[in-house]
Amino acid sequence: MALIQTENLTKVYGQREATVVALDHVSMSVDAGEFVAVMGPSGCGKSTLLHLMGGLDRPSEGSVTIDGKSLSSLSDDALSQLRRRKIGFIFQFFNLIPILSAVDNAALPLLLDGRKRAQARDEASEWLRKVGLGARLGNRPDELSAGQQQRVAIARALITNPMLVLADEPTGNLDSRAADETAGLLRRVGKEWGRAVLMVTHDARIAAYADRIVFLKDGKIVSETHLEAQDGQEAEALAGELRAEKA
Amino acid sequence: MSVRHAVLGLLAQRPRHGYELHAAFEAVVGGEDNWDVKPAQVYTTLTRMEKSGLVAEQAVEQDGGPEKRIYAITAEGYRALKDWLEQATASEHQRDEFFLKLMLALVSGAADPYGLIKAQRAELYRELHAVTMRRERVDPAKELARILLLDKAAMQLDADLRWLDMTEGRLDDILHQPLPEPEARPRGRPRKARDQ
Repeated sequence: MALIQTENLTKVYGQREATVVALDHVSMSVDAGEFVAVMGPSGCGKSTLLHLMGGLDRPSEGSVTIDGKSLSSLSDDALSQLRRRKIGFIFQFFNLIPILSAVDNAALPLLLDGRKRAQARDEASEWLRKVGLGARLGNRPDELSAGQQQRVAIARALITNPMLVLADEPTGNLDSRAADETAGLLRRVGKEWGRAVLMVTHDARIAAYADRIVFLKDGKIVSETHLEAQDGQEAEALAGELRAEKA
Repeated sequence: MSVRHAVLGLLAQRPRHGYELHAAFEAVVGGEDNWDVKPAQVYTTLTRMEKSGLVAEQAVEQDGGPEKRIYAITAEGYRALKDWLEQATASEHQRDEFFLKLMLALVSGAADPYGLIKAQRAELYRELHAVTMRRERVDPAKELARILLLDKAAMQLDADLRWLDMTEGRLDDILHQPLPEPEARPRGRPRKARDQ
């Protein structure tokens, strides 16, 4: 079941001669548990697509539907609430609050939603443990590595129990090892924790962690590649590997 | 590289039976799936190296059963090994089958070059995905050889993908150029000089 769906999604900036078509009638969907990467050259519209899917901006044409609800049918307040509760965001530059500890950073979305501090911190600690930061709960961002900071950001994105996680160049600021760990974690968010995950990236090795890659160019989808072998082939490939490993 | 250097390296570790060498090679590269060498190749190489003085028979075991030869590396063999180890290794960039396909598609018109690139890109991403998933499953502490080759495979596939992007960008320029043709060369024997 498609958790998020776009239909002829279009975004146009400017007027008359100065018109820029950032996104040109893009239709796609992401299911729960799916990990989709969106790639394309600079200016292809991938960030615009992410912003529209996250309700951070409104389209010129077309629609975004999340869990059966069209975003355009929502008021600004309702849209705000949906963003807070149903969508988790992960950015390239982490966007953590420098004076808050890991726990308080991760707990923030719940606090902003009116939850009690103690409960919010408990849940934050739980998620931080799940992403491997159980020993770093009290550390501030400047006491954490870049990879660890991004993991705090991921815990923060998951704390409201969103159905959709949107990541914009999440490994852009990380070294190879931290980038691999982050991509592996995002894959777990989909496979193990059942969310729909959409990631914008220009790094092929990071996109390779996804189930499917959507390629954009000049605001349009130009192709789509499924990365997992289809059913029978996957089983065959795995069987071959197990045989080799036994030898 | 050759089997020769592998044999020298393994004998430098300790003297061995001929048949043990093949198993030792497989163990050091992490399995025949990583690097396949036929036992016959090992034996032929061993014989040749004995002739050229790089290895020598050390002892012949006789424990009531058939004779088994043990080979050891000689001083000359050890020098040859050190030279090979310490010399920088050249990279291979030629003989890329996709490159050949692209050039032939351009000259023959039998396929759309943009289509070829798109199909190759999809295939490379699928391979990169498979390598990535395998890397996640391997424990670097237990399977060093395998993880090193998987890391390399991932990085080379990434490089191939970036080359594809660059080539796609260059196609517009390429398609406006005259296509590569072999130079016409005069045939037959060169004529003798008139004045002798």
